[in-house]
Amino acid sequence: MLKTENKNKKSFIEWFKHRWTTEPLFSTAIALLIMIVIQTVVLGFDYDSFGSWFSSWIRNWINILRNNAGVGIISLGMTFVIISGGIDLAVGSTLVAVGAIIMMLIDTGPKGILAGIGLTGAPAFAVAILIAIAIGCLFGTGIGLLITKGKIPPFIATLGAMKIFRSLTQHFMQGYNPTVPKGFLQISSFKIGNLMLMPIIYWAIAAFILNYVSKRTVFGRQVIAVGSNERAAKLSGINVVKVKTKVYSLMGVLVAIAAIIQVSRIGSMDFANAGSGSEMDAIAAAVVGGTSMSGGKGTIIGTVFGMLIIAVMNNLLNLFGVPPFLREAFKGMLVVFAVLLQRKEES
Amino acid sequence: MKLEMRNIFKSFGSNEVLKDVSISINEGEICALIGENGAGKSTLMNILGGVLKMDSGLIYLDDKEVEFNKPADSLDAGIAFIHQELNLINDLPIYENMFLGREIKTKRGRLDLEKMIKETEKIFEKINVDLNPKTMVRDLDTSYKQIVEICKAIMMNASIIIMDEPTTSLTEPEIERVFNMMRTLKEHGVGIIFISHKLNEVMEICERYMVLRDGKLVAEGEVSQVNTDDLARFMVGYDVRTEQFSRDKSLGDEILRVENLTHPDAFRDISFSVKKGEILGVTGLLGDGRSELFRSIFGAEKFSSGRIYLDGKKINTYSTTQALKEGLGYLPGNRKENGIIKDMNIFENASVVTWPKYAKYGVIDKQKHKEMFGEQIKSLRIKLEKVTDSINSLSGGNQQKVVLAKWLSSNPKVLILDNPTQGVDVGAKEDIYDIILELAEENIAIIILSSEAQEIIRLCDRAIVMYHGKIQGEVSGENMNEHDIMRYATGGELRISQEEGMEHA
Repeated sequence: MLKTENKNKKSFIEWFKHRWTTEPLFSTAIALLIMIVIQTVVLGFDYDSFGSWFSSWIRNWINILRNNAGVGIISLGMTFVIISGGIDLAVGSTLVAVGAIIMMLIDTGPKGILAGIGLTGAPAFAVAILIAIAIGCLFGTGIGLLITKGKIPPFIATLGAMKIFRSLTQHFMQGYNPTVPKGFLQISSFKIGNLMLMPIIYWAIAAFILNYVSKRTVFGRQVIAVGSNERAAKLSGINVVKVKTKVYSLMGVLVAIAAIIQVSRIGSMDFANAGSGSEMDAIAAAVVGGTSMSGGKGTIIGTVFGMLIIAVMNNLLNLFGVPPFLREAFKGMLVVFAVLLQRKEES
Repeated sequence: MKLEMRNIFKSFGSNEVLKDVSISINEGEICALIGENGAGKSTLMNILGGVLKMDSGLIYLDDKEVEFNKPADSLDAGIAFIHQELNLINDLPIYENMFLGREIKTKRGRLDLEKMIKETEKIFEKINVDLNPKTMVRDLDTSYKQIVEICKAIMMNASIIIMDEPTTSLTEPEIERVFNMMRTLKEHGVGIIFISHKLNEVMEICERYMVLRDGKLVAEGEVSQVNTDDLARFMVGYDVRTEQFSRDKSLGDEILRVENLTHPDAFRDISFSVKKGEILGVTGLLGDGRSELFRSIFGAEKFSSGRIYLDGKKINTYSTTQALKEGLGYLPGNRKENGIIKDMNIFENASVVTWPKYAKYGVIDKQKHKEMFGEQIKSLRIKLEKVTDSINSLSGGNQQKVVLAKWLSSNPKVLILDNPTQGVDVGAKEDIYDIILELAEENIAIIILSSEAQEIIRLCDRAIVMYHGKIQGEVSGENMNEHDIMRYATGGELRISQEEGMEHA
């Protein structure tokens, strides 16, 4: 009896080790699980008043998810970008630029564009959303073409775009703050039961669709092929320029969606600071989730896990009362640690 | 300084690469070392350069026995090896390259640039090199880079210089420049071992020749006593027998025609055509431009002028995607770099080409691909455990079959195979030959790029031989033998083809 038990134990350890070293998704999931357990313990588990404990646990989680939905959606696009062998530093600035455009469109003040042509209410919101997504797509495609046709390294092209978008937005929006109509806020703050779930639902839908795109579609697989071996992909008849450009277009669309969520959640935007640092958070989520910076490797689910790990850690630091200035240091350590683990897997 | 290598033996595992080879080079002598790929030239020279250790044998310098255990030993003894890939750093000026790793420093540890420049100028003056030491290496053409390497060797007091195919990537005037340099060195008493495939050049610059074949020294003597024909025969040997695969050659209509295709630097004025069901060989030596030619036809590289017709219709292969749509298939050389997508599994590597073809609304039809690959595993005899295993888990031959499978799924009209049996073991090689013959039966036009004359002779109906980016000649039937292929590949002409030319006239 004892012997077989030992054997089972050993084989479990081996099985665990094998999966841990061969499947990045597995190790990420375990890491997330550990974080959640710690978080649950810290929140103070209480049997006697399980109901109230549970509802506060749920509320805490909904807060976490909602606060990270915007960057979460951006990180999904960032995963595609990094898998393709690129990087996008411009997402934060694109977010502000698209956000400013939406706000100008639906502004109820004197400068409101759609109100100016007599369009208000739900139709105006629908038009504004479509235009925002189209413009996000356009910005992304522009960056993509600079990289593919212009042959500018992604780092440089998106660094340039980052500066340009932020600077132009701040210049044109200085001294004016558009008023976002109450109705538009419903996009994010519409309550299901008693809970504000909408941003979380958008994030979940985006993750679900993009996971399918990455796994099953021609485009999704071609992105991996291009990122893994661009020469071989080209020599397999894949239009590398088109695939890479599309990746940045997709990024633009997702940033536009994040901008819509942001505007409708808060109702205003600080054009100097909004979205700044979100490029790094998105990259961090992808990397912690097992996406390889050298391209070719990565999953959407991994990135969602990565985002959650970072979010739970932030939550924990909050609960522990760690001073705000120290929190970024923890985030930095987490990213470095995650990559250290990946290195080990490769060798 | 006189160099002698006596009774050199070397084997890698059970493979005997050098069998009792003895050579010698005298002071101020330019001596050619020729032989086919795999004849043992590199091994012999690497032993001389201290890179490899011989199993047995002796090396004498001026009748004194020496032992080379590492490259530095050989360099110290005055033997310099100038490799095909030059060891210069593009972003540094000439003088810094000359002193790389042995920089002259002032007492305070600062680089003494003035002294390095002066020393470089001295060397240049000694052997008549007209270069400014401050020029960046990037701005030099390949011949001058070679000359800088030679100067570096001279600076280190080299009295024997080994040059490994120095003219491969050079143009005619550049070759002349390097040859002049070699003549100057000769006057200074430097002995040169000139490794080359180009027999015309051997005739022009060398005094003596040494021919290696299958690890043995099969011929040596004065160049003035032989012609290129003799040298080609020595390289190939009489005893090579290659029975051609017998097959029913019922060729169809012309399918691919290329007219006057020209590339800025790799090839010029290429015209040829292929028929349905035909196996066309394209061969030549390193630097002949055949890979670039077919990459251009497949849309992976741009050409400057010329036309391509498929099925009588002019096509524009401005991208590989377009070429694939038109019905071209291309199995690239260098499987690791160009053929395999390392982060994908076997199944995905085998289906990457046809994802767009078998997809509904952009979603890949996995089932269809599974069926196709399932059949291919049988018909191509691919040995694997699970189709979801990593592509890296397969042997070279099976990897190549997977790469081949992805192209066969696209049902190409013309299939271009660049070095299809590169890094493939003997069994898989025969498998691949069988597959190629079967495909030709199915009326696919096949173009095989190979530097192995044997492979061309065994498989192909006829073959184009390229030399320096041009079609030097075409061989078929009787003419398709190693000797004639080698003649063309080294830049020679065949008497027969001249007679034919007269008949046509």
